[in-house]
Amino acid sequence: MSSMAQARGTSILTLEKSQKRFARLVALPGMVVLILLVVGPLAYMLFNSFFVKTLATPLPPRFAWFANYGSLFTDGRFWNAFLNSMIIMVIGIPVQSFLALVLALLLNKKFPGSRIIVALFLIPVMITPVVAGFEWKIILDNRFGPLNYVLSFFGIAPLAWLAKPLLAMASILIMDTWQWTPFVTVVLLAGLAAIPKQVYEASSVDGSSANETLWRVTMPLLRPMFTLVILLRIIFIFKIFDPVQILTGGGPGVSTETLSVLTYIMGFKSFNVGMSATIAVVQLIIITIIAKLFISMVMSRRKGKES
Amino acid sequence: MNTIALNREELARRKRIRTLFTVLRFLLILIFFVIFLFPVYWIAVGAFKVEGEFYHYPPVFWPSHFDFQNFVRGLAIFGGAQALIASLVVALANTVLVIGFGVLLAYSMGRFNVGGDNMSFFVLSLLFAPPVIATMPLFIIWKTLRMLDTYPVLFLSYILINMPFAVWIMKGFFEDIPQGIENAALLDGYSRFHAFRKYVLPLAVPGIAVTALFVFIFSWNEFLFALIFTRSHTQTLPITLAGMTGGHEIPWGEISALSLIAILPGVILTLFFQKYLVRGLTFGAVKG
Repeated sequence: MSSMAQARGTSILTLEKSQKRFARLVALPGMVVLILLVVGPLAYMLFNSFFVKTLATPLPPRFAWFANYGSLFTDGRFWNAFLNSMIIMVIGIPVQSFLALVLALLLNKKFPGSRIIVALFLIPVMITPVVAGFEWKIILDNRFGPLNYVLSFFGIAPLAWLAKPLLAMASILIMDTWQWTPFVTVVLLAGLAAIPKQVYEASSVDGSSANETLWRVTMPLLRPMFTLVILLRIIFIFKIFDPVQILTGGGPGVSTETLSVLTYIMGFKSFNVGMSATIAVVQLIIITIIAKLFISMVMSRRKGKES
Repeated sequence: MNTIALNREELARRKRIRTLFTVLRFLLILIFFVIFLFPVYWIAVGAFKVEGEFYHYPPVFWPSHFDFQNFVRGLAIFGGAQALIASLVVALANTVLVIGFGVLLAYSMGRFNVGGDNMSFFVLSLLFAPPVIATMPLFIIWKTLRMLDTYPVLFLSYILINMPFAVWIMKGFFEDIPQGIENAALLDGYSRFHAFRKYVLPLAVPGIAVTALFVFIFSWNEFLFALIFTRSHTQTLPITLAGMTGGHEIPWGEISALSLIAILPGVILTLFFQKYLVRGLTFGAVKG
């Protein structure tokens, strides 16, 4: 009796062992590629961040401990880029969330053709970013652009969108809002679709007005979706490069330079390998923290669903 | 009698309000729609305008006649055809590599939880990292290997952008497949690999195909790596487009025509795979 149980125990044990071995074996090729092509360059970058090193002079790289980090945090241009990325987040995300909420509430009740309408709305999300940059360059053109033409009906004189620092930042925000509001909308739509009908019925039985239902029922239930989408938008804004590079190139001056654009300019316009690597490391650290938040959210959602 | 009449009036009033709200709702949807789709419309129309219509005030909202010369000149004179081939080669090769190497890793993570939470965290961190941070180290590596301006440089570099994404998304698809499927195959005496290939893989094909489509489009749309790692032979479409603004007179018509070609794969994905789009872009957090 006990020997049988023991035998079964060992067979389960060997089964588990063979499964583990199989899982590791199968994961190996992918892991090797990831480590070789992803971790390799990143490690090299970390290494570079401790050196004073440029491609502009033939001088050999000089080991400098944390000197790059020190000069980075006292560098006005770095804080300017950091601030610009923050501005896009702090203004862009609330505006996009608000517009997306309105649009999601409008589209929530199905009507004939609503699926195709939502699909069409989503086109900006997957559009080639370079094309998005060009498109807005044409639309915002101060002499021939359609936006200034439309504004002229409201008595607004032609604006030099891409030539003035504040307007250039506004242009980036407009483009970003155009590109990402539809994405936020569909995430919120998915959230709205997941709210059970009974919740609304209960609320209307209680005699709540539509307004009360929105604030006391819908919004709290949408909160996880808002958190998720805000987290994702923060990640995407850290990554934003192509459309900004095309639309303003970080200019005029440094007024629309984001962290990604600055990393690029440091590396490939100033050829300052050490500093470029340092900015990259700082970004990687911030992103790692956000990844930690995201994963704890996804995990808690999964666990919530299982229980 | 009186109360019934009142109720009828009240009902009619409510109905009017409801109609008003419906009209208002569709009006608002229409306004949103026009604003958000206008830039897409502007590319599409721009591709058929003649050059003068770009430098015309008031702007030309509907071209006087539809001109296909922009496509011809864009493809033949401005290097669009060569760029199209480069984009296709790079995107296809990258998709094959990423899916090929990623699928088993994703299966192993999704089914056997290889590496546990740490592994997930590792893949997600790579997925969230801005690609720009890898440009300089990669540039030095490729330069040292004398590989700049070749196709492999691009499709190998894009592994860095796409592999974490593909692994993460496919992991989710494998998790959706019920566990019992392999167990039945194992009980029948098949090997684990056979169980995967014959029983799990066919069920995962739709998910893998959608992931491949995403990867293809990300490669197709990519700008930064292509900007740095290509010179003349292997320029992809976004780079050729960006280069067209170099001269003193910008050929907006040809740019619009090539842009229209460039956005096609992304538009197709959004129109026909909307459900998966949400899942892909939220990195699997919203199943759509």
